[in-house]
Amino acid sequence: MLAYIFASKYLHIMETRRDVFQAIADPTRREIISLVAKQSLNLNSVAGKFDMTRQAVSLHVKILAECGLINIKQEGRERYCEAKLDGLSEVSAWVEQYKEHWERRLDSLEKYLSKLKKERNEKRKR
Amino acid sequence: MKNVKDDLADRELIFSRVLDAPIDLVWEVWTDPEHIQLWWGPDGFTNTIQKMEIKKGGEWSLIMKSPDGDIYAHRCMFREIVERKRIVYEQLTHPKYLATINFESKDDKTFLHWHMLFESRAYLIEAARTFKVDIGLKQTAERLIQYLSQLK
Repeated sequence: MLAYIFASKYLHIMETRRDVFQAIADPTRREIISLVAKQSLNLNSVAGKFDMTRQAVSLHVKILAECGLINIKQEGRERYCEAKLDGLSEVSAWVEQYKEHWERRLDSLEKYLSKLKKERNEKRKR
Repeated sequence: MKNVKDDLADRELIFSRVLDAPIDLVWEVWTDPEHIQLWWGPDGFTNTIQKMEIKKGGEWSLIMKSPDGDIYAHRCMFREIVERKRIVYEQLTHPKYLATINFESKDDKTFLHWHMLFESRAYLIEAARTFKVDIGLKQTAERLIQYLSQLK
């Protein structure tokens, strides 16, 4: 039972970690997201914007779709990519938390300075 | 198509503070190992400064110990030191970044401008993710302990 709880929790974390991060770890994929965030584009138009093979772009789009950041919609003979940006908020939440961590460090510096000032003032009075 | 490169804004963090202390004191607590180990934190961490050579090319190594006893060793190198004005250091261990800290005297206060630049957006996210996972795993473990104690 214990092992099961641990495994399910741990594996769950591993999974969520892989998803969004993998999607945005690559600069081309980030560029694809920002392209289709402006407007839905068919696969050919997306591929035309990059200096690489259509297959390579298709693979990036596929990964983005698997990670839940892009929807692929079939319209007639065309496949359109549209952005699903909800997933990205998770990433900006991480960055916010990390920023917060550095702000705490500056708080700590501030606190330490005021303590030190007080100590030295008292020493001077004696 | 332009070469896909990260914009500066996507991979930097900027902090600024007006500190209620004269610049001499702020410089002292930043550059003296005896002081910096006491405030560098994060909360509940203890720091041991192994080496801190305040000069261009000087090494700065520190060991951070979390309240749970986890050890994080960081090695940095000072890229620029301008007395009471600027410190530039590069963290050589993961997560790699370049930090520029500017000090400016304002009456009896000090204006601190702290800039961190990561090699790429992915590095910044990776740093944030590592931080998040460390904290997240700990919280998960705490929840698990809590859950198990309820079962007893």
